[in-house]
Amino acid sequence: MLFRTLLSLTLIFGGTVSHAAPNTARTEQVEGSLLTDHSTVQVGQQLRVALRQRIAPHWHTYWINPGDSGQATSIEWQLPAGATASEVEWPAPSRQALGPITNYGYSNEVLILSRLTVPATASKRFTVTAQVTWLVCKDICIPQTVTLGLDLPVAAVAVAGLDAPLLAAAEAHLPKPAPFPVRVTRTDKSLVLIWPQQQALMQAEFYAEAWGIVNHSAPQALTQQSGTARLELPIGEAPLVAGKALAGVLKIQDSGGEQAYRIQEVPQALAKPTPVEDTGLAAALALALAGGLVLNLMPCVFPVLSIKALSLMNQARDSAATTRRHGLAYTLGVLLSFAVLGLALLALRAAGGEIGWGLQFQSPLFVLGVAWLLFAVGLSLSGLLDVGASAAGLGSDLAGKPGYAGSFFTGVLASVVATPCTAPFMGAALAYALTQAAPVLLAVFLSLGLGLALPYLLLSLWPALQRWLPRPGAWMQTLKQALAFPMYAAAVWLVWVLAQQSGAGGVVLALSGMVALAFAAWLRSVMKPGLLGNGVALLIAAATLACAVALPAQTPSTQAVSNDSEPYTPERLAALRAEGKPVFVNLTAAWCISCLVNERVALSRPEVREAFARAGITYLKGDWTRQDARITALLSEYGRTGVPLYLFFPRGHEGPAAVLPQLLTPGIVIDALSAPAHKE
Amino acid sequence: MMNERRSLIALAFSAVFATSAFANATVDAPAPTFSATTADGRTVDLASLRGKTVVLEWTNHDCPYVRKHYESGNIPAQQKDAAAKGIVWLQVISSAAGQQGYVDGATATALNSKRGAAPANILLDPSGQIGKAYGAQTTPHMYVITPDGKLAYKGGIDSIATADKSDIAKADPYVKLALADLAAGRKVAQASTRPYGCSIKYAN
Repeated sequence: MLFRTLLSLTLIFGGTVSHAAPNTARTEQVEGSLLTDHSTVQVGQQLRVALRQRIAPHWHTYWINPGDSGQATSIEWQLPAGATASEVEWPAPSRQALGPITNYGYSNEVLILSRLTVPATASKRFTVTAQVTWLVCKDICIPQTVTLGLDLPVAAVAVAGLDAPLLAAAEAHLPKPAPFPVRVTRTDKSLVLIWPQQQALMQAEFYAEAWGIVNHSAPQALTQQSGTARLELPIGEAPLVAGKALAGVLKIQDSGGEQAYRIQEVPQALAKPTPVEDTGLAAALALALAGGLVLNLMPCVFPVLSIKALSLMNQARDSAATTRRHGLAYTLGVLLSFAVLGLALLALRAAGGEIGWGLQFQSPLFVLGVAWLLFAVGLSLSGLLDVGASAAGLGSDLAGKPGYAGSFFTGVLASVVATPCTAPFMGAALAYALTQAAPVLLAVFLSLGLGLALPYLLLSLWPALQRWLPRPGAWMQTLKQALAFPMYAAAVWLVWVLAQQSGAGGVVLALSGMVALAFAAWLRSVMKPGLLGNGVALLIAAATLACAVALPAQTPSTQAVSNDSEPYTPERLAALRAEGKPVFVNLTAAWCISCLVNERVALSRPEVREAFARAGITYLKGDWTRQDARITALLSEYGRTGVPLYLFFPRGHEGPAAVLPQLLTPGIVIDALSAPAHKE
Repeated sequence: MMNERRSLIALAFSAVFATSAFANATVDAPAPTFSATTADGRTVDLASLRGKTVVLEWTNHDCPYVRKHYESGNIPAQQKDAAAKGIVWLQVISSAAGQQGYVDGATATALNSKRGAAPANILLDPSGQIGKAYGAQTTPHMYVITPDGKLAYKGGIDSIATADKSDIAKADPYVKLALADLAAGRKVAQASTRPYGCSIKYAN
């Protein structure tokens, strides 16, 4: 403080010597000073200059857009020949409300920044004068004009001044370009800012740079959902001209403090209604049922099919009534699982979480659990683990008398392993359900479950349908053992998923757990029939599960970059589209088997790659294996809650992309690429 | 299993202000009607002025932006010009009692004669009711109403938002232009502009 006072005195003194204006002037309400980051300048140098206003309590000065009334501070430079001054750089303003009138401005203290270029011809002293005009208001307003000056020695080497840190801090606080993509959509009454936002915001405010673009005093409604923030800006007296960019400052406040970002974005017309709005309840239920049916055929349900095939043949020997009851128990297991899933999603939604299909697979702990479960089922099918039907019923003993609990848990297992799949039709139904009230959401989920259970249920209800089933025999034991291998394969796949989520540590943990489970199973068979064996086995199994807690929490950065695709980022997509280049977007996840199958049978095929190359298409791949708000945002933009999603933006195309089906063939992809334009 | 979920659905309204009775007059829509007490104690009803073009000028004699246009003679000249053309120019004072610009009828009249101002009438609106019905924000804030009662113009007195008298000659005189458009039977070219000046000192 003392130093600064001394400096000011020096400068004022220096000023009198060379007839420059003093660098500080005071009115009753405002003390205005010119501060520089150098006390000695050199020729050709860029000099940081700040106009500092120290404003009396309850008074304020104004931002570039002063809001409903008021006037922005202005600086008129008188510079020596060859010197230039930059545009003023404004710190983020605050709102000042006076009754129904809202102003944008500053109170207490503000540093308004500029840059001066010291001319190449400067010698001895660099002297500038600035006529500074501001309006300062409390309940009354006073326009004030002061003349401020700078008079700095010119030397061979510039010398930083005492105010340099102050100016550097002010510069650091200037609004920065937003580090995330911000979209602006437009409706009749408002502009809406949309950006990815993980952390909960306490406040968000947008300040338009030009008067009247937004209503200065209208509240701006902030909503946060699914990792996306939306800020609604009621339009003001001078609405944005179509095609012009919305420019201004977005100020957001979260637990980490306040940030200000510069926004410059041309609003898009309101996107066409998404399927979310198109789908009625009846349609959603029908779509969900169809989706559930198709789920039986999806690649990820293969392990489940094997279980079902086994139990069906098992029951073929029983009476029709028993078979029917098994079918019902299985259906009940499926429905109950889907009801639990629906309720869990409801609870999450109530707690404010992001919800979507298959996202439980984004939790490494869940993936680990399912991997061990499938491995254990495999062990049981291999005959190593004779878990009685009463224990869990998984892989119920073919020779014994299976309980209905076995069928019930088969249904549960089917539901569990079906979750990483999305079938065609399912996306729209779920997207609809997830935005609806609890009863509707549950109805859609139960309909989906019914679809999944239906083929098996029908077989069990109509003995006539069972006639095509082969007669039971010794071959069943062989088949049972053979079917263990799909389970192991599924477990391997999940370990691979886990590897992407938790790295090598997760893989070691998963595999060690499997060894422990196998050891426990072996121990149990060796030490049978004693209770001791059971106890020890149970103990090992329990210890294994407890180890899951040690699952590495940190997630390695494993955004797979293959040589033919680039990782998806909204910025990259926006940049490519701005250039008018054709873009293919593939939103996928390691745990999504349909995604992987589509990549294998269609997207990675040479003819498709060739078509991409021929059309100059950039292939962007978004990996949703772990939570990624930017991908969630793109999914929700197209009314989806889960992967896969395939989008094609034709060359020079504006507006929404063409959406490809969820089951791809090379033909479908190539046809989509050559389709003339996306129909609105 | 949802340990990674942390985003919240936050529904927050930032900066909620008391905007209850604050409306916005819309260009081309019927102008909000009012019945106001004048400085000489009479009552003026907007409806009674049908058939005439009406100018509303929100004012506050102590506001530097108002003083710019009175001390330069700009607004008094426009008032006289309007009167000569049969246009009804009404000053409106919406400053609340005790606030800057609040005056009683006698003072308001005296101020005008001292400043050479010649409005058709002075409307006293210390409750802010008329100001809020129009969404008036600044002094000056100008409105032009057509003979059939529709709002034809709202915004600033001119285009340069400073308190500097020397800027008047350089500015586009929006109100003059709007009145000229109306007189010529044209649509007002710039029907909504940015008002500038001091905030109106409404009652809280």
